[in-house]
Parts: sequence; structure tokens; C-alpha cells
Amino acid sequence: MAEHEEILERMRASIVAADETEAMAAAEAALAAGIEPLTALEEGFAGAIRAQGEAFSNLDIFLPELVLSAKAMQAGVSVLEPALKAKGIDAARSGVVVIGTVEGDLHDIGKNIVVAMLRSAGYEVHDLGTDVPIPNFISVAEQTKADIIGLSALLSTTMLRQKDLIELLNLKKIREDFFVIVGGAPVTEAWMNEIGADGYGLDAHMAIEVLDSRTK
Amino acid sequence: MASHNPLKILSEDQVQTIYQTALGLLENIGVVFKEPRARKYYKKAGAMVDEESQRVRISADIIEAAIKQAPSKFTVHARVPENNVEVDFQKLHIEPMIGRLNILDIDTGERRRTALQDVADLVRIADAMENYHLIHSGAIMPAIEGVPLHASHAYGYLASVRNTGKVVKCSPRGRQTAEDCIRMAAVLAGGEDELRKKPHTFTTVNPVTPLQHDKGQTEGLIEYASYGIPIDVTSEPQAGATAPVTLAGLLAQQTADILSGITLAQLVNPGTPVWYGTCGTIMDMKGGLIALGAVEAGLINAASAQIAAHLGIPCRGTGSVTDSKVLDIQAGYEKAITLFMATLGGINCLFYPGVLEHALTISLESLVIDNEICGMAYRALRGIDVNEDTLAVSEITEVGPGGNYLGQKHTMEFLRKEQYMVKLSNRFSREDWMSRSGGKSVWDQAKDEVRRILQEHEPPSLDTDKEAELETILKEVEARGPEPSRVSL
Repeated sequence: MAEHEEILERMRASIVAADETEAMAAAEAALAAGIEPLTALEEGFAGAIRAQGEAFSNLDIFLPELVLSAKAMQAGVSVLEPALKAKGIDAARSGVVVIGTVEGDLHDIGKNIVVAMLRSAGYEVHDLGTDVPIPNFISVAEQTKADIIGLSALLSTTMLRQKDLIELLNLKKIREDFFVIVGGAPVTEAWMNEIGADGYGLDAHMAIEVLDSRTK
Repeated sequence: MASHNPLKILSEDQVQTIYQTALGLLENIGVVFKEPRARKYYKKAGAMVDEESQRVRISADIIEAAIKQAPSKFTVHARVPENNVEVDFQKLHIEPMIGRLNILDIDTGERRRTALQDVADLVRIADAMENYHLIHSGAIMPAIEGVPLHASHAYGYLASVRNTGKVVKCSPRGRQTAEDCIRMAAVLAGGEDELRKKPHTFTTVNPVTPLQHDKGQTEGLIEYASYGIPIDVTSEPQAGATAPVTLAGLLAQQTADILSGITLAQLVNPGTPVWYGTCGTIMDMKGGLIALGAVEAGLINAASAQIAAHLGIPCRGTGSVTDSKVLDIQAGYEKAITLFMATLGGINCLFYPGVLEHALTISLESLVIDNEICGMAYRALRGIDVNEDTLAVSEITEVGPGGNYLGQKHTMEFLRKEQYMVKLSNRFSREDWMSRSGGKSVWDQAKDEVRRILQEHEPPSLDTDKEAELETILKEVEARGPEPSRVSL
């Protein structure tokens, strides 16, 4: 058991050190040593990334450190995933998110921060990048069995595309299948209400809060 | 004459190295242009264009030819000719911020959405301020509360030109918006031909750093350039987030962003006036937000002005800006530090006075306070004249040991040239301050000043025929209705 604890500690350390290679090696070691994949996920990676998230909130670490920790976690989890799946366990404990910056808009730094925070909060995130045509959000969401679609837009002109997504979901009669969250500098509560989105985030913290407290 | 950029952050060699690095980035990595017409212009000029990735790789000879075509001096016309702005990389003009989504309400101190009346008030204040020249306007706002989104540029423009005789800025966001704005500016100019000869507006195009140009703004760039209307191509890199964390790398990347936009403007219409524009700063890594009031922004501005001067192109930069949410000490020091580094660094068009909160929020009081800080920057730029009159040896001789200069004609003669006369800053004794104003802070003094100006200041009236024409255009834009939904199964 001491060996197990040592490996779990290695996993945690790899997240804090934001070391992708070490996170993958530690995850392999965990599986090889017979640690339950769910234990490895929860006690190895998840706790460590949550702690990094808290450290960021407490201003003890800076954003690049959190982003790199989330990247290390993603790499490590990819090693655990087949074993988790074999046991019927979903690694995405908090939800599956399809996210991107809408068509016509190339701004993505805010969206990238949200992605890192979502990953550190246990979401499986499919990041489609920038300038994403609206139908792509829906097709990927259907393929990945996502429950959340996140749309970012920095410009008041491209913000209109967020409305298009809701309309398209309505047309396809699958609106109720997804929690739609919108974000970006021009996005307001009034805009969310106007287009009929389920939530909006003024920043990454708010986005996570909204998603964590969703009931849909 | 005082040097226009006494604060030299970079050596000549460093400027050259950054510029050469930028040329290398443009040739080897290239930039993405989402607008097909931009790629066509570049292809015709001999750039390597990959249609699939939309990547354009531009050789140094194309860039350098364009730099030569870009004028080092140009005029932006105002409807009142005394307010024309003669842009020159030896001069400083100031562009206060007007159009933000939020305004700090002067009465409640709360942040709320900016409405059309606010736009009118903000522009009227900017009209009254002696240090403001190029008016960022309601036309370029993301949205105006209570106004249909698809017509906000037209409403914003009209509310702005009604309230100032100074140069009013227009929006480049998308072809239609640009066309509407140009039509309206042509009314002020007295027709489209006149507008081509005398640009009565200017605009900003922001490459989406790193190394990208979106479709909408590039459409706008092409429209404005085809009329020869001045464009500032302003990159907005955030060190550590959208640019290398190292400022040298940020400057190289930013220069590549800007030069690819400036070159396109010259390919569309050789000789189109442009600014090399920076809104570069750091990302605050505690919260993941842009830190516009950071000292690093000051360094980037001063360095940018040197790079632009090296190219012989005027430089637009940022200053008098803060990330503070209120007009507190942080607002004061951030505004002053960024303003002074940028202006003493040689920036020719200084953008941002009037803003708070990462430039998300505008404030009437801040416009008035910042005007005073800008006055100090102008004073600092004038430097110290050293000649026989200013050395004042005959006055020193006359006064002699132990005398004083209050009664000297020389004092009266030079006082207003040598000293910047502050209006809001409080330099009275405590007792005097109490008896004059009841001990008001600068913020409260500024509130009084705003209310006074709004009551007393009459902007030069707009020709009624032109106003009617602008109203007709506005109605057409509004009647066009919102952009139709693009959605279909």
C-alpha cells in the first residue's frame, strides 16, 4: 500500500509541477501497480488539480501555472481513460462541454481560460477553437454526448451568432438536450435572456459557478 | 525645440533587431487573413498565399515598399476646420475614449450601461476639453443601451457629430457598417469626392494577435483604405497570453501584426494614411485579465513609438488608462505612469483618457481629470528652453542675493509659458481648500466641472441640411433591420 501511496503522490506532484510526461508516466505506473483507475483519477489527479484551482483563487499561483497543470492533468487522464471506460466509469465527472469562439471571431484568450478552469473543475472539454461555424458546435456536441455547449464572442457583431445556435437547436428540436452558456465582453444577462440561453459568464469563475450549479 | 521622444527605451540596434525579426515572422510564419479579398491583394503583390490555411507569407520587399508609400504626415479633417488634426510623428494628439459599454454614473457612482444621452454628454465634454483632438465616438461602440444593435453605429455617429466640431471616429466592423459610416462622413465632407480629398474621419482596425486578421475588420480596412481615410492598425497583444511573456517578443509579433495590416492598406490604395498602433500590455496572471494600467504598457508604448519612428510612420498608443474601478489613487498613478511613458516615449496619437476598469467603463469625470493630466504631459514634452532670455541673467543680477522674483516683469512674461496652470489639482492651503470647496476631492471637483460644462458648453452647431441628410441615412440604416438569421436546417 505504501507503494500505491507513493505512486499517487507522484501523480499529485506531476500536476503541481505541471509535468505532462511525468503525469502520463505516473498514471501508467498506477495502472501497472494495480491501483483502481477511479482511485488514481480521484486521489491522484482530481484532488491535485482542485488544489491548484484553489491556489489560483487564493492568488498563490498564477494563471499559466494553472493552465499548465490542467494540461498535465489532461495528459495523465488520457492514460487512465481506457481503464476507466473498461470499468464503465466516466472520467468527466462534472459534465461534457463543447466550447468555441463563434464564426467570424478569432478572439480566444478568454475562452482558453474558461477551458483551463473547466478542466481543472473536472469537466471533459472539447475545444473547437475559433471562427467555428454554428452547426459544428451541434454536430460535435452530438458526437461527444455533451451536455453543455459554450459559445464565446468578443464582438457585438459576432455575438449574434450565439442567437443562431439557440435557433438552430430549436429548429432541430433538441434545445432541451443542452445547457447553453454564452460569454464574451459584450455578453450580458439581458442578452442571455433575449436569445434564451441557459447561462452566461462574465469571467471564467462565473462560468464555472453557473455550470456547477446547473440543474439541467 | 524639445525632442519628441526624450524617453528612449530601446537603442537603435534594438529597434532594428525587433523590426528585422518582425519581417522574418511575416516571411516565414506569415499571417492569417480571413477576408478573401485581402489574400487576393497579397497574391497580386507576390506574397505566398495558401488558400486552404488562409495564410499569407509576405516577403520583406513587399512590406518595405508599403512602408515607403505610407505618409509620415497627414491631415484628418474636422467639420470645424480649426479642429483639423495635422498628424506628424513629431507631434502629439489625444484621442479620449468615448464609446464603452459601461459608464460610471456621475450621480450614483454605480456602473451601468451607456445610453445615447451619455454618448452625447461624453462627446460634449470631450469637445470642451482643450487637450482632446480625435474623438473616439458613439459610432464605434459595441452597443448603445436602448438603440437597435444594427443601427448603433449610425445613432452613435450622429449623436457624436452633433456634439463636437472635432474629428469623429468611425467603425470598421464589417463592410456594411463601414459603408454606412463612410456615407455619413461624406455628408460632413460635402460629398464622396471631397471625402477622398479631405478625410473627415478615421478608424481603428485591430489585428487579432497573434498574426491574424478577422473578416469583418479587414472588410472595413479595405473600405476605408479605398477612400484614403486614415486607419490606425492597432495590435493588442497581452504578454504571456496572446504574445510572448517577454516584451521583446511581444514587440516583434506586434510589429508583424501591424505591418501586415498597414501593407494591405497600401496595396488597396497606395498612400493611405496609417498609424502604427499599439494597445500592447501584459495579462494580469492573477485574474487572467488585461492589465492596461501596467507599467509594462508604458514600456511597450515608448518602444513602439521608436519602432514607428524608425519606419517613418506616426504611432498610436495608449495611456491615461487604469484597471481601477473607481477614481482612486490607483487610477491616478496608473493613468499618470502610462500617459507619461507613452507621451515622453514619442506616441503621436494617445488613446484612452476617460476610461476605467480595463477600458470597459467610461467616466465623464475621468475625461475632465485626464484632460488636466494630458495638459501636464504636453508641458513635460515641451521640455526646458535654454537661451539668453530663459537663463535670465539680467533678472538674477537685478534681484541679487536675497531678493525675489514676484515683482519682475520677466516673471509675468514667462509665467504662462513656463508653468502649466492646473484647474482641478488642489494646491491651496488646507484652510483655503476648506473655505473654497468645503474640502472636495479632485473627483468631486470634477463632478462639479462636468455639470458646469454640460450646462454651459455649446458645441459648434451642425449645419441643418447636413443634419437632415444624416438623419435620413440613420433612418435607412434602422429600416434595414437586424441582420437576418443565418440559421437553416
